[in-house]
Amino acid sequence: MDMINPTVVDLSRFQFALTALYHFMFVPLTLGLTFMLAAMETVYVVTGRKIYKDMAMFWGKLFGINFALGVATGITMEFEFGTNWSMYSRFFGDMFGTPLAIEGLMAFFMESTFVGLMFFGWDRLSKQAHLAVTYLVALGSNLSALWILIANAGMNVPHGAHFDPDTMRLQFDSFVKLIFSPDAQAKFVHTSVAGYVSAALLVMGVSAFYLLRGQHRQFAARSFRMAALFGIISTVAVITLGDVLGREDYMEQPTKIAAIEGLWHTSKPPYEPWILAALPDDAKQENHFEIGVPFVLTPLITHDFNTPIRGMHELEDAAAPRIESGIVAVSALRRYQETHQQADLDAFKAHEADLGFGFLATRHAPNQDVTAIPADALQSVVEQTKPDILPNVFVTFWSFRIMVFLALYFFALFAISAYLSLKNKLERNKLILKACMWSIPLPILATEFGWITAEAGRQPWTVFNTLPTFLSASTHSTSYMVFSLAGFALLYSIFIAAELYLMFKFARLGPEAHDAPHSDDAYAAHCAVVGTPHASGH
Amino acid sequence: MQLLRLAGLAAALVVSLLFAVFVGDQGPWYFAWVIGTIMIILISGAGAILLDAQQDGKIGSSSDQEV
Repeated sequence: MDMINPTVVDLSRFQFALTALYHFMFVPLTLGLTFMLAAMETVYVVTGRKIYKDMAMFWGKLFGINFALGVATGITMEFEFGTNWSMYSRFFGDMFGTPLAIEGLMAFFMESTFVGLMFFGWDRLSKQAHLAVTYLVALGSNLSALWILIANAGMNVPHGAHFDPDTMRLQFDSFVKLIFSPDAQAKFVHTSVAGYVSAALLVMGVSAFYLLRGQHRQFAARSFRMAALFGIISTVAVITLGDVLGREDYMEQPTKIAAIEGLWHTSKPPYEPWILAALPDDAKQENHFEIGVPFVLTPLITHDFNTPIRGMHELEDAAAPRIESGIVAVSALRRYQETHQQADLDAFKAHEADLGFGFLATRHAPNQDVTAIPADALQSVVEQTKPDILPNVFVTFWSFRIMVFLALYFFALFAISAYLSLKNKLERNKLILKACMWSIPLPILATEFGWITAEAGRQPWTVFNTLPTFLSASTHSTSYMVFSLAGFALLYSIFIAAELYLMFKFARLGPEAHDAPHSDDAYAAHCAVVGTPHASGH
Repeated sequence: MQLLRLAGLAAALVVSLLFAVFVGDQGPWYFAWVIGTIMIILISGAGAILLDAQQDGKIGSSSDQEV
């Protein structure tokens, strides 16, 4: 067996994090903008007012730019599993490959096909047929996210699979269990609705820009109103669904929850404070200072007032017997692969549940071989492995808090914006309009930090409690990894620059530069004459 | 034609009910997402129509009204 090079593992992790975070800058807008376009077009079909068609076409153009770059950055990631994470792909491919294949064959093809019809079908389809196409694009893009998140949920809570000692892989047992796992459900709804928030703030921010400059006022007022209402409900939903996901993590991934909360020792209900700010020290395994709100943590996590939450020190102690048992499992598995004797298989089966912890001990075994651990060194290896079960607490703790604080800010901003819009007092409140405009990138930032919380919190595992990350990477050379990492960083930075250039360009041009021009004065004059909604563009 | 349309709507209703029963039971959060997304779209659309109605009530007096 090739020795594991920690530098290559770290570079592989860094490369995947980089590409995933770049890709995830585009994804939330795609998820949300499609349903916002569907909402605008629905109003157009219902009322017949052309301004809503102009809205759907203009915001659709911004969606198109984002969609194209999202696809370009997403495709490379699928190949990365094979190139940089070949051990993971071999071990978990049965579980992971199925939803990924369905994503490509069903959701992505559906989305891509109907995107073409959506952009080029305005004059070729009836209003109703075009509306159906827009809804199908929205459904397709969100179904695409669904399958990816089902695959990701399998990594976090690998339900519906068993380890086969003959093939040395996790084998698929139940498709239904995978799709309907509570983690997949919670992840999908939370992520999808976070995309709605991102899209709503983009539309609201660009509309605020027009209102501040006194341009496209009727267009901007309607876009702002729809986005504010879309955003406020979505923000309430994303916070609620985040709680669902947190509860799921509490049930299935206690180390992630303990790291998120900076909880080194088991909590003392009901007083235990929810830490607002702290400086977690991973090396010393303590927080340097804490500012917290008492009586909040226990009900927040457990949904009651009396259940203690296990701290990281206690979780480490609880892992010790599992590491010892896992070492027995790995040793028995190694023997079984050589002998194929029933006795070795039975020995493995007796400790199978702790196999992942045995893999985790590999790093501290002589020559990375747990079968070579002398009896007198076993406890030392177990003690060395114990801290490895924890994720990076500083990163997990702060990425979660940044996400949460931003979500609370969005709630306040959307609530005030929706109120002012409903009262027709937007233009008097330039401060709010400026806040909306400058807040456009923040939901993207929040989703990025949410993603970091989920992925960093799952460490040290790629498949939770089953396959450690350091055993999942391919055995590339360091120079290969540095070269490909630099290439990805350069290419994706160009993509981001292109996206920002095009977004700014088309946002500044505004809807009047669009194929179907609309003038505020013409619209106002028309309404003044007819006193009713003006006619459809068709 | 009317009968065909009625049959189509009835089929859609049956599919929706089956979807609601199955997904509501097996995947309650998926079901919540479907219902929630529809609600978000309808409320944001209603907000826009309300703005039209607010402006239609005032537009005769001024074309430069505040938004």
